[in-house]
Amino acid sequence: MKKYYFFLLLITVLISSCEKDDFCIDPITPNMVIRFYDATNITETKAVSDLTVNPSGLDSIYTNESLDSIIIPLDVTSNQIIYNFSSGTNVDILTIDYEVEEVFVSRSCGFKAIFNNVTITSDAANDWIIGLTTTLDNTVTITTIEDEAAAHVQIYH
Amino acid sequence: MKQQHMYKFITSICFLFVLVSVSAQQSTDTIQKDSIVYKTNYGFRLGVDISKPIRGLLQEFYSGLEFVGDYRISKYWYAAAEIGTEEFTTKEDFTNSTSKGNYIRLGVNYNSYKNWLDMNNEIFIGFRYGFATFEQTLNSYQINSGNNILPTETITTPITNDGLTAHWSELQIGIRSEIYNNLFLTFSGSYKIMVSITDPENFKTHYAPGFNRVYASNTGFGFNYSISYLIPFSKK
Repeated sequence: MKKYYFFLLLITVLISSCEKDDFCIDPITPNMVIRFYDATNITETKAVSDLTVNPSGLDSIYTNESLDSIIIPLDVTSNQIIYNFSSGTNVDILTIDYEVEEVFVSRSCGFKAIFNNVTITSDAANDWIIGLTTTLDNTVTITTIEDEAAAHVQIYH
Repeated sequence: MKQQHMYKFITSICFLFVLVSVSAQQSTDTIQKDSIVYKTNYGFRLGVDISKPIRGLLQEFYSGLEFVGDYRISKYWYAAAEIGTEEFTTKEDFTNSTSKGNYIRLGVNYNSYKNWLDMNNEIFIGFRYGFATFEQTLNSYQINSGNNILPTETITTPITNDGLTAHWSELQIGIRSEIYNNLFLTFSGSYKIMVSITDPENFKTHYAPGFNRVYASNTGFGFNYSISYLIPFSKK
């Protein structure tokens, strides 16, 4: 009889093992993390009042909010995305150029993208964004964006 | 995927009922010692897994054929092998890939069933070493962008990686009955543990022929329903 208990146990194992065992819980394509700093005191974060962010031609991601840090997605089907950053009625255009690298994650998550040689350029009209570096340049290059662990870009205003 | 799970479930249930009826039979009958020795056939048994062609007809994402064979080496032990070919398309949320290739499984079966008289039925436990050589094609995929703000696109340029191999060990449990003189029906289930497998570059092997779906823990499950014919060499 003992033998059959062993069989029953194995059958139970066989049945229970057919459940879906993988849900996508791994990190997938990272967003770009931006923090806003005070241009007059570059070590201090400073919230943007009335911030509206939208990809050019698409619906806004943030609307009239007061934030000192935001996340924005990059377009994995292209090498460039243009964002409109508005503070009130002042519109600043940020052009982001990058290379997309496809990385396989897992069965349920599929492929994610990581972004290399990311260059962000703020339009020269320089509305409310004063600079993107500590020396307040209008352009900055990031080697890679592969996770959301820390801010990728500092915007001084 | 759901259909496949259901299939495994139903066949496992059938297996359960057969075992229960077998145990009931044994407990009610007492076997008398007798001086007459009943002889059974020894020889080569060859067959085909009939579940695979049927599955191929029912599911457009599957096709396969498997030949089975064993050779009786002693009263309880059989040398056994299966050889086959399979093609399977894995559809996931973000990828669609097809594995295609051939496999062989080599090992032994131990018959734990004590037969009556000259009957030749089996409840066996089998051990196998499995080897597959195959290719996997990534038919289409979509980058998991994690947002629904920006547009996505499905890339449909197939990427084929060939020369993939898999080695695994396998535990089988099965029942076999002689339904007609020297003609056998066998049902078995198997649990497989991957020993080594090659993955395509920047991708993963989702299905290995003969191993079936490669689960995250590098394990797999399978079943067989085969019909085979014994070519008797001698009676012992």
